Amino acid sequence: MRKLSLILLLSFVLILVTACSDTEANGEGSSSDKIKLDMWVFGSTGYEKLADEYMKEHPNVEIKIQSTQFDDHHNALFTALSAGSGAPDIAMIEVNNIERFRQAQDRFHNLYDLGAEEVKDDYLDWKWRLGENADGTFLYGLPTDIGPTAMFYRVDVFKEAGLPTDPESVKKLIPDWDAYAEVARIIKEKTGKPIADNYELIYNALRDQAPVQYFNNEDELIIEKEPYIKAAYDYTVDLIQKGYVGDNGLWTPEWGAAMDKGSYATLLAPAWMQGVVKGNAPNSSGKWMITGMPGGAGNWGGSYLTIPKETKHPEEAYKFIQWLVAPEQQLKSFKEMGLFPSTPSIYNDPSFKDYSDDYFGGINTAQVFAQSAQMVQTVYMGKNYKVVQAEIVNALTNVSKKSADPEKEWKAAVKRIKRQLERQ
Amino acid sequence: MVPQSKAKALNMKYSIAKRLTEKQKTSIAGYLFISPFFLLFAVFGAFPMIFSFYLAFQKWNGFGEMTFVGFQNFNFIFIDPVFWKSIYNTVIIGLLGTVPQLIAALILAVILNSVLVKMKSFFRVAYFVPNVTSIVAVAIVFTVIFNEHQSGIVNATLGLFGLSPVNWQTSEWGVKIAIATMIFWRWVGYNSIIFLAGLQSIPKELYEAAEMDGAKKWQQFLFITVPMLKPIIIFVVFTATIGSLQIFAEPLIFSGSGFREESITIVLYLWREAFSNNAFGTASATAVSLFLLIIAFSVINVLMSNRLGKTGNIRG
Amino acid sequence: MTKKVNKFLLYVFLVIGAFLSFFPLYWMFVMATNPNHVINQIPPAIVPGDKLSENFSNVLNHIDFFGAMLNSLIVSSVTTIGVLFICSLAGFAFAKLHFKGRDKLFLVVLVTMMIPPQLGLIPQYFIITKLGWLNDLKAVIIPGMINAFGIFWMRQYIKEAVPDELIESAKIDGCGLFRTYWNIVVPSILPAFATLGILTFMFMWNDFLWPLTVLKDEEVYTIQIAIRTLQDAYVKDYGMILSGTFWSTLPLIVVFLVFNKLFISSLTQGAVKQ
Repeated sequence: MRKLSLILLLSFVLILVTACSDTEANGEGSSSDKIKLDMWVFGSTGYEKLADEYMKEHPNVEIKIQSTQFDDHHNALFTALSAGSGAPDIAMIEVNNIERFRQAQDRFHNLYDLGAEEVKDDYLDWKWRLGENADGTFLYGLPTDIGPTAMFYRVDVFKEAGLPTDPESVKKLIPDWDAYAEVARIIKEKTGKPIADNYELIYNALRDQAPVQYFNNEDELIIEKEPYIKAAYDYTVDLIQKGYVGDNGLWTPEWGAAMDKGSYATLLAPAWMQGVVKGNAPNSSGKWMITGMPGGAGNWGGSYLTIPKETKHPEEAYKFIQWLVAPEQQLKSFKEMGLFPSTPSIYNDPSFKDYSDDYFGGINTAQVFAQSAQMVQTVYMGKNYKVVQAEIVNALTNVSKKSADPEKEWKAAVKRIKRQLERQ
Repeated sequence: MVPQSKAKALNMKYSIAKRLTEKQKTSIAGYLFISPFFLLFAVFGAFPMIFSFYLAFQKWNGFGEMTFVGFQNFNFIFIDPVFWKSIYNTVIIGLLGTVPQLIAALILAVILNSVLVKMKSFFRVAYFVPNVTSIVAVAIVFTVIFNEHQSGIVNATLGLFGLSPVNWQTSEWGVKIAIATMIFWRWVGYNSIIFLAGLQSIPKELYEAAEMDGAKKWQQFLFITVPMLKPIIIFVVFTATIGSLQIFAEPLIFSGSGFREESITIVLYLWREAFSNNAFGTASATAVSLFLLIIAFSVINVLMSNRLGKTGNIRG
Repeated sequence: MTKKVNKFLLYVFLVIGAFLSFFPLYWMFVMATNPNHVINQIPPAIVPGDKLSENFSNVLNHIDFFGAMLNSLIVSSVTTIGVLFICSLAGFAFAKLHFKGRDKLFLVVLVTMMIPPQLGLIPQYFIITKLGWLNDLKAVIIPGMINAFGIFWMRQYIKEAVPDELIESAKIDGCGLFRTYWNIVVPSILPAFATLGILTFMFMWNDFLWPLTVLKDEEVYTIQIAIRTLQDAYVKDYGMILSGTFWSTLPLIVVFLVFNKLFISSLTQGAVKQ
């Protein structure tokens, strides 16, 4: 009796469990002769629609796209690849996160083996390079979109400071970083407002324009050997100490509110920030405009499509992604979802070139970003990129919020970085 | 409710089983009753645990080959001041967030249990709501409340009293107080629910008798509630100690993944090593160290509660 | 007179506390009825807007909200039933039965609580894939039934709330131990069931790190995973995100009230017994 009741209760639980798993098993059994491709993406890419289009042309292929939150997506992929099972046939990886997967080269197909060499010239060179390994023999992923950066500026603040306001003149007024610092001084004196409300974006902009960043191709830390990163740090520190930069944390409510209030003059940010600005500052239509960034350009964001080794259908998966990120489809993604294309041939397409936005004063916004997309430096980021970035931002935060001594902070940051690099 | 015939059949079965002695039967039942947990744990819990211990002596980035490195991982973390800082932070935040919280939870439970208060259901739900409120909303609300600028709600309030604003995100004590507040807010209802269940098992007659003897409410609280509730209190303190040594969600929500030194806790340190730096060896070494630390704290807990137990007995 | 003042003060204190507890949830509702940018207002907006249905229909367009809710309901309730059963049974054994190695085994249960869970992710995932449970709710439900806290809690409670004499007398009546558990122990620990039930249900409902790792198919998404997919990579529509979050929290409050009933009814039951 005792045993019987126990068995009864346990089987009750088991029935409940299997009852819910049965339903999905039925769903999967239907179309068995098709080639099934699982694809993991993050955020809204609009790829579902394109995949439908592809499936119509290729009735033997069935593509299932799963979209997850940004961090969750990369962590789940990491876990699956690390455990050696459960990874999809196609996985999207964001450009900063691809560094994390560099050590997992053996878990991915080399897209060069699948014929990627042929389409190489369709893409921006720097974007392509970031998807390769250090010596360029292995290609992790095909480029999707990019995040070329430009300078967003507040027309009303510039006017108040007695400065020119149209994109051409602003570009001429601020061609380089010295001019940027000078304009920062003028704006501070005339309006009392900072030139930017966050030091991190200024530092990032400078970092992106450096010919080398944190690591060389052998993944050795070079921030002490090469002057560029320290120079970017020093420049940012200088603006902080002069009070030209605000200290709102990125993505915080006050950061968003400041966009609408016009409490600062410039925002150095990528193409996708247009959506953020519009969302945060619905009442500022016509007050934000966009022009080229001082000193060059940079990139923030954008992704790659990779094919994990586990897939049973690498050729079919490759055929699909090659199609998905080919120029014609990238143009569609741009029109539908605002994903900025990584294929420069589109930049001359009339529908792209003439794309304008009334919110940003009716200027041809796509063109501004296309120009900067072609100026981005080709750099190697390195697998430990995030460690270094986080510690340098910490140092800048200490300088800004605690008025800490910048030299001491820099040395402490380098020390912390080195300690963490020893461990892998 | 069992029909007669069935009951008879049952008795028959039992007469066969009677060959086993009473003691043996109890033993078998005991093992049988605890076996579901241990079976499940053997499948899903034991392997990860052993794996962590094993990893603590390996160098592994999550993908490639593991290499045995002996105690090197421990060496790495033990010479790292940030590791020691994370222990310090954990203990301080744990104390700030737990001690006042448990006292408040106990008082709250007593109030919510007393016959005097109306709308008990409403208040119980209300105080439990923080524990189910989404982390996303909590994060936003708390960054607004503990905004570093003068306009921040807490800073503005401090300003009314002529106090200068605090850097809630970056100053040594500011962050800790903010995180401890968040812990207090999220867990006080949770623990009072546990206390409430304990209060249900205290016989009403005790209070009635005390009432008749003219004992005041606070006297009843001190001399009936607290001693009768002692086992539950020990339970809550024990689990809260473990919980606060494993603090993870709150500092992560509040400070983000910048892992700043003012707010990094042991589990955050571990998390950073594993999932941000791909250093699973040092992450596991941290996990093992934390495990030992928790055992140490638990032993202290046990010793202290034994003492409490003795004094309690004298009083009883 | 002072008694009245005291009582008044007590209520003031309770109401302020309730307000502080409720505020973020209420504020979530405010955000769920407003357009995105309102989230940035300083001081924060405190009045609901007019975008209630718009935000929620946005949610419905993005995710299979009700399907995910159903999955969460299955996961949370099955796990809760399992936990209540496994933990009370084990708690009963640890509290009242005498067998060899009992206290040592209980110590093992306690020690399992002390292991930081974050590192188990990869090896645990590995086991799930070996069992072929990927994209199956089982992968969340079965490991979720391991609850050392629950055993600890039940043991503690049963020790206090169930007198030894009651168990002895059941034995004399010829009750098997499982019957004793079912007929004597279970009815007298309903408050402990209510507590553990609430906590387990809430935990399973809100858990996302583990479900997210093993459930990668939209059909088996729990509500927490579904809601996280509302967050875009860079641009976030908080009106929509918090709308989904708010509506997914409401059922929890209903569940709480149900278990709370169990509290109250067990109270009156106790009164009858006396």
